[in-house]
Amino acid sequence: MPMGHTATAEAGSGGLTATEHRLDNGLRVVLSEDHLTPVAAVCLWYDVGSRHEAKGRTGLAHLFEHLMFQGSKQVDGNGHFELVQGAGGSLNGTTSFERTNYFETMPAHQLELALWLEADRMGSLLAALDDKSMENQRDVVKNERRQRYDNVPYGTAFEKLTALAYPEGHPYHHTPIGSMADLDAATLEDARNFFRTYYAPNNAVLSVVGDIDPEQTLAWINKYFGSIPAHDGKPEPRDGALPDIIGEQLREVVEEEVPARALMAAYRLPEDGTRACDAADLALTVLGGGESSRLYNRLVRRDRTAVAAGFGLLRLAGAPSLGWLDVKTSGDVEVPVIEAAVDEELARFAEEGPTPEEMERAQAQLEREWLDRLGTVAGRADELCRFAVLFGDPQLALTAVQRVLEITPEEVREVAKARLRPDNRAVLVYEPVTADTGSPQAAEAAEAAEAAEAAEAAEAAETTEENEESAK
Amino acid sequence: MTELVSMEFHPQPQPGEARPWAFPAPERGSLDNGLTVLRCHRPGQQVVAVEIHLDAPLDAEPTGLDGVATIMARAFSEGTDKHSAEEFAAELERCGATLDSHADHPGVRLSLEVPVSRLPKALGLLADALRAPAFVDSEIERLVRNRLDEIPHEMANPGRRAAKELSKELFPATSRMSRPRQGTEETVAGIDSAAVRAFYEKHVRPATATVVVVGDLTGTDLDALLADTLGAWTGSSGEPRPVPPVVADDTGRVVIVDRPGAVQTQLLIGRVGADRHDRVWPAQVLGTYCLGGTLTSRLDKVLREEKGYTYGVRAFGQVLRSAPDGTGAAMLAISGSVDTPNTGPALADLWNELRKLAAGGLTDAERDIAVQNLVGVAPLKFETAAAVAGTLADQVEQHLPDDYQATLYRQLAATGTVEATAAAVSAFPVDRLVTILVGDAAQIAEPVKALGIGEVTVVTG
Repeated sequence: MPMGHTATAEAGSGGLTATEHRLDNGLRVVLSEDHLTPVAAVCLWYDVGSRHEAKGRTGLAHLFEHLMFQGSKQVDGNGHFELVQGAGGSLNGTTSFERTNYFETMPAHQLELALWLEADRMGSLLAALDDKSMENQRDVVKNERRQRYDNVPYGTAFEKLTALAYPEGHPYHHTPIGSMADLDAATLEDARNFFRTYYAPNNAVLSVVGDIDPEQTLAWINKYFGSIPAHDGKPEPRDGALPDIIGEQLREVVEEEVPARALMAAYRLPEDGTRACDAADLALTVLGGGESSRLYNRLVRRDRTAVAAGFGLLRLAGAPSLGWLDVKTSGDVEVPVIEAAVDEELARFAEEGPTPEEMERAQAQLEREWLDRLGTVAGRADELCRFAVLFGDPQLALTAVQRVLEITPEEVREVAKARLRPDNRAVLVYEPVTADTGSPQAAEAAEAAEAAEAAEAAEAAETTEENEESAK
Repeated sequence: MTELVSMEFHPQPQPGEARPWAFPAPERGSLDNGLTVLRCHRPGQQVVAVEIHLDAPLDAEPTGLDGVATIMARAFSEGTDKHSAEEFAAELERCGATLDSHADHPGVRLSLEVPVSRLPKALGLLADALRAPAFVDSEIERLVRNRLDEIPHEMANPGRRAAKELSKELFPATSRMSRPRQGTEETVAGIDSAAVRAFYEKHVRPATATVVVVGDLTGTDLDALLADTLGAWTGSSGEPRPVPPVVADDTGRVVIVDRPGAVQTQLLIGRVGADRHDRVWPAQVLGTYCLGGTLTSRLDKVLREEKGYTYGVRAFGQVLRSAPDGTGAAMLAISGSVDTPNTGPALADLWNELRKLAAGGLTDAERDIAVQNLVGVAPLKFETAAAVAGTLADQVEQHLPDDYQATLYRQLAATGTVEATAAAVSAFPVDRLVTILVGDAAQIAEPVKALGIGEVTVVTG
């Protein structure tokens, strides 16, 4: 079963290794040993996300993810949570545009339990799924939506910008949380069909990382997952390809009861998995990452027109990525002042590119983010699944940082010049209204559809978490 | 209707043999300047965590200058005798480092994380920040204005708003704990560089500070490195500050912070109770977990998994401030969000769960699963250097011995169901809880009054 990859560290992988295997039913398996701490991470990525959802059923992939914690043939009700936590483990699941993941981090001697649990729901969820779970989790997810998006200032931002940046009918036009109306409309039969269509061993990658015996682990995986039948017939997701450039500046002004004016924007950027995407990551870091970036220095330190200013990158493989600008204004500064300064900085950067010092700083920051991500067994398991599902090769996870370090300043300048331009962005402007006039609108907007992590919005543009929903 | 299932089933597997793990024991020492040093080698952790605790608590802030400790903490990364503010930020980021700082009731904390290859450089910058902060007028002015800009964002956030209201309700107006940690618009506006420098000179010195360094220190001569960096920091010797006692009024009552049109109500239900110096702490941790520690705890079993009123409600205990003599206190609270129409029913269920707990107690099965989780997750929880360093620094600021966390795990394992029940019931007595609700008063006030959980008042803002 091993596919030829041996456990020999590649250059630039920090000494980490991974082996790949495939069961007869098509389940891909990635194993990586690390005996420093007696823990083991199990991570299962299903190649299904909100981009696979049909019109009128937004939010179904995420609602379904919640249902995966409601029991299966051999696991009662909340048993999945109870058994993992009772074994000293932690667990969750999240849904994004491009995938749904489930993960358990276990004390190493409890690894087999996690594998048994994941196999049970992969193979037999529908034996337990009923109306009661469906109705209950529908209410829980609607409350998740209210808590994370509808009842917080700027909660509208992520959903609105996404809808602007990807045209009507595009698979990424809506966010994973979905609309209240569609959550209400989803039926038990929708959920069953979703499972039958997408939850199959040949549509998943399983990674196990940590203090494991690879042979024993593989034997357990064969034992528990091996008899789950493969299922073909998954429809291809709608094509997410778009022209490189939007071609015009899209714009929406939101009048809401928010504490300050804000300028947010989404730039269309190269797809994840390309050198140009890594170059864009560096460009956004130089321009808007941390507290020594060009935009922070300009807006927060020098002009003092903003309370926070930053750029983030939402990496996407099946559609253009998004460069995410978030600026909250200071005092009564008006948005056009901010916008002019941003445009000036972006234009200057497109001409001159990064200085050697800026390049060094941006690469050091991204390198350290990678060290953090690969520094825990759970983070490593997730990245191995990511590269296996999205790019067909988990080994790429271990050399990702090397690729970022190989990008040249000229590549960074090129991508900035080509992409970070006014005719390639969707802009969202927040204008505060007072409580008296604002509350009816706020209530209405809440029922419509919003998204974004807002509680710590004053800090900077954080996009990586915003597109993920979780069960816990 | 059930579906035909075609896979082969196996019985639930039994665990293998547990592999030993213990919370790491740090090595304690000090530098010539009196700085206390805790270090801990964690193989494989390439990102090193450095925590600094300064004995500059919020109650040391001069009257009328609430927030000066916060501005000082932030100003540490805004320039030194060697670098301007912009240069300092750039140099730190060149190391791939992050430096966070914040001021809280026990003191000021700085948290540095950096790849071990660049530890010497980053530690040098941190030492400069502590030894010779610039506190330039214009940078302090900017930080003050920035802080003033942040306040409306915090007030608009339901969770932050609830926390501020609870502090105001629980503690007497004379107590620093009753007021926002980072100051109010009035107090912050009065802070300038002279005030920041005065606070620094009075309360920041190596003799009353501690540094914690955790990570893969193979090949790092930490003694030499510390001597070259933090060793150059000087200051007079200083006595630890006395810790004022914590008093709180937990008479059962309800305050609604009115948010017309809000689609959810943010709940924060709290009081003050025992901290880690109290023998009841392990039982309180266990009991609180059983009540509301996770999705399968009592509160979520009903409010989330049966009724669907919420995405999740949590009960927790969080140390406010501890004293060497054991007179410190922790905030014991229950928090979460429920949809507006179900606010009354959700609170009724919540109180019902508290009454059921008091009447019937926890089961042995609940206790067992809680112990297995709380003790079992330790190796996962402390996988990173940052997690270990944070806990060690918490122990220092809470005047606990270095082996506290390791001991706590043994105590948790030895705590029985009866003790856990008693601790949870006395932590959350039904008539001694202050309830803050941030939500639409027009819709929730009447149903909440009908519950009889205390007098209901409505405030705006």
